Amino acid sequence: MIEGLHKAFGTTRAVDGLDLDVRTGEVHGFLGPNGAGKTVTIRILLGLLRADSGTATLLGGDPWRDAVDLHRRIGYVPGDVNLWPNLSGGETIDLLARLSEGGGSRRRGQQTIDRSKRDELIERLALDPTKKSRTYSKGNRQKVALVAGLSSGAELLLLDEPTSGLDPLMESVFQDCILDATREGRTVLLSSHILAEVEKLCDRVTIIRQGRAVETGTLAEMRQLTRTSITVSTDQPIDGLATIEGVHDVAVDDGHVRFHVDGSALDETIRHLSGFGIRSLVSQPPTLEELFLRHYGDELGVANAATSPKTEQGEPG
Amino acid sequence: MTGIAVDPTVATSEDHPAPDRSSSSSSFTGTRRLVWLVLRRDRFRIAMWMIGLVGLMTVSASSVAALYTTPEELEGYARTVRGNSALIIQAGPGHGLDDPTLGAVVMNETALWLFIAVAVMGVFMVVRHTRTEEETDRAELLRAAPVGRHAPLASAMIGSLVVNVTIAAGSVVALIAFGLPAAGSIAFGASMVGVGMVFAGVGAVTAQVASGSRGALAAGGATVGIAFVLRAIGDVGNGALSWASPIGWAQSIRSYADERWWVLILPAVATPALVVAARALQDHRDYGSGLVAQRSGRSEATPALSTARGLAWRLQRGVLIGWAVGLGALAFFYGLVADQAEQILEDNADMADFFAQLGIGSVTDAFLSTAMLIMALFATAFTVSSVLRLRSEEVSGRVDPILAAPVDRREWASGHLAVALVGSGALAFVCGAAMGVGAALVLGDVGRLGGLVAAALVFVPAMWVVAGVTLLLHGLLPRWSLAAWAVIAWVFVAAMFASVLNLPQWALNLSPFQHVPALPAASMAWLPLVILTALAIGLIVAGLVALDRRDMA
Repeated sequence: MIEGLHKAFGTTRAVDGLDLDVRTGEVHGFLGPNGAGKTVTIRILLGLLRADSGTATLLGGDPWRDAVDLHRRIGYVPGDVNLWPNLSGGETIDLLARLSEGGGSRRRGQQTIDRSKRDELIERLALDPTKKSRTYSKGNRQKVALVAGLSSGAELLLLDEPTSGLDPLMESVFQDCILDATREGRTVLLSSHILAEVEKLCDRVTIIRQGRAVETGTLAEMRQLTRTSITVSTDQPIDGLATIEGVHDVAVDDGHVRFHVDGSALDETIRHLSGFGIRSLVSQPPTLEELFLRHYGDELGVANAATSPKTEQGEPG
Repeated sequence: MTGIAVDPTVATSEDHPAPDRSSSSSSFTGTRRLVWLVLRRDRFRIAMWMIGLVGLMTVSASSVAALYTTPEELEGYARTVRGNSALIIQAGPGHGLDDPTLGAVVMNETALWLFIAVAVMGVFMVVRHTRTEEETDRAELLRAAPVGRHAPLASAMIGSLVVNVTIAAGSVVALIAFGLPAAGSIAFGASMVGVGMVFAGVGAVTAQVASGSRGALAAGGATVGIAFVLRAIGDVGNGALSWASPIGWAQSIRSYADERWWVLILPAVATPALVVAARALQDHRDYGSGLVAQRSGRSEATPALSTARGLAWRLQRGVLIGWAVGLGALAFFYGLVADQAEQILEDNADMADFFAQLGIGSVTDAFLSTAMLIMALFATAFTVSSVLRLRSEEVSGRVDPILAAPVDRREWASGHLAVALVGSGALAFVCGAAMGVGAALVLGDVGRLGGLVAAALVFVPAMWVVAGVTLLLHGLLPRWSLAAWAVIAWVFVAAMFASVLNLPQWALNLSPFQHVPALPAASMAWLPLVILTALAIGLIVAGLVALDRRDMA
């Protein structure tokens, strides 16, 4: 879908040679901290920004040139929703839905608004559609955008941190909606930094850093490529473990041995361990968080201060 | 247990005593710091008001001093003004013109407009720092800090006082520098502060009552308008109603005309009274909402709200109607005083010469065409602000979901542009018709109506050119699109101050308004209108193309 995409604002390179491939029918997680270039990428896909170089293909079209036709088949939910203060939520939803239907009525890939779906979503998200937008909280503005984006029959949903400001209850309603959408065969690009959400919903994930994709694949594939953490206790004391290539961070702790091992060295390591009589062995695949932190760990300076990835410039709007 | 109790200190209350309310905390805690914040945030605005008002004061005083150098000339001015309702409405009762001094003439020329300016400034400043802040949620950050409930209101009022005193002091210095008596200058400065603070208090009250900040601004602005009208009726009549208007109070202080200092008691009492009322009202409303509840909207959109164009109309129609009512009233008023124009010139040889030089036969026609030019300038402010909706929609990100739908940029932009272009024409028509009805009434000549509608409509192509320039700026240089206001400023200067500033003809020609035939004083000319229309179309097309090719903010 995207190859070698570049976009710079002045001297800030917001997207710097990004490759991204979203397959039809999948939910693709788009991960990265603030300022990594996620929003800029989505705005390029929406034809709001023009790429400096590289190619982007969206549903077989050019996102800049064919913007209007493509948008008939796209649903969009921004992460920072700003609404017209004197329109009610219901009016905003209807307006956006009718705009999505477009003026030309017999075009290919026509979206149709499902009235019952609109009302059902409003109900499920517990949104009062009669309130003027100026009185909505951030979470409620987000709900308006979600109803507008999800109630259309779009083939492709571009979601840019769509759950920011939602409470955990609404977050789970959102996840149900996305699962419904995939059952209907729709494709979703989900930009997020809520890892649990991505882990639950996404078939494949792309991790982006400084405008460049640093890792992409299914979660299973990505786990194979990374280290598994193992805790083992054996009859006899283990030795020689640290000499195996691919074993890291060996620590002995109250009769247990903990270490990390690369996927490639797993087989050799287990065979080595079995010579000491394994009593118990717990193996934990890397969590998405660990995968994520592995790519950003160096930015955090001290590894255990892993709370807030550094913010960069270059993500407007 | 009922209610909510969050108090982690309960268990260890001996270690962490409850806040000591008696010593330092009140609902005004933090006011001093907030005053600094108000002044810090508004420093450019304050500088603009300062430069604008003191500058206007200075320029007016110097031009009056240059025009009327002898007692005879001053008496000539006074004779023109005395008893002329049209001028009294626009200038005030003319205290001190029985035995005119330079100070009295300067006051008659400038004081009313400065009072209106500080009144508007007072309303805007207080509403902006109270209700508008609540709507942006910035106030939440402050209120979560140890800042009292009434501190934002108090700091907005104190900030207004600082700004008003600063502007008044600048004016006093300027007036004394022109050699005017110190007592009168100080009286005028004090009257400015009085008006500014009373309307700051009005803003404080409307900020509590209205359902939103825009409503609060509108109600405050309307109060300024009512104060203007009350004193206009009072000044023309027996003066009683002028005492119902804070602007009337300021005039009744009679700067440079045997000052009546005791009148200052009125604003000095009214301002604290308004603040106390605002404080009491605030205690009866919730944070973020006014006493008048926000009405609920529809749960579903009407069929009209289905397109980008429908949205543009929906967003701008209220503003357009407001402009139409305001400008229509002003134009009607100009029409009503059309019969006074002849009288103005009877006593003033200089002005009669001036009109003779322009080759204008009827003074009434000259007056009406000048009035129409002023109306058109006002209406063009709508045109620019309407086109600049494109900017605010884009900068706020509200355009994103529109453009993420199958709507191209030209369609979106042309929606707002259509409101700007058609709205400009509608405003011109309303101005022409209202002035025409007014003039037809006092002149007893129904034929004036059609003539004045035509006189208004000839400005429409020039307004479209300004719209086109604004759009092109927004398309090519979005960061600089607010520079469109400079276009209006130039049009205004070229129209009103061309002879005073001795501007070269080529510079004047840059203003599209210079090419509009000044009906009814001049005769109709079609060619400039055709050229202006073609130019407007060219600018608009270029603007749309530029917008289509650039990145959105």
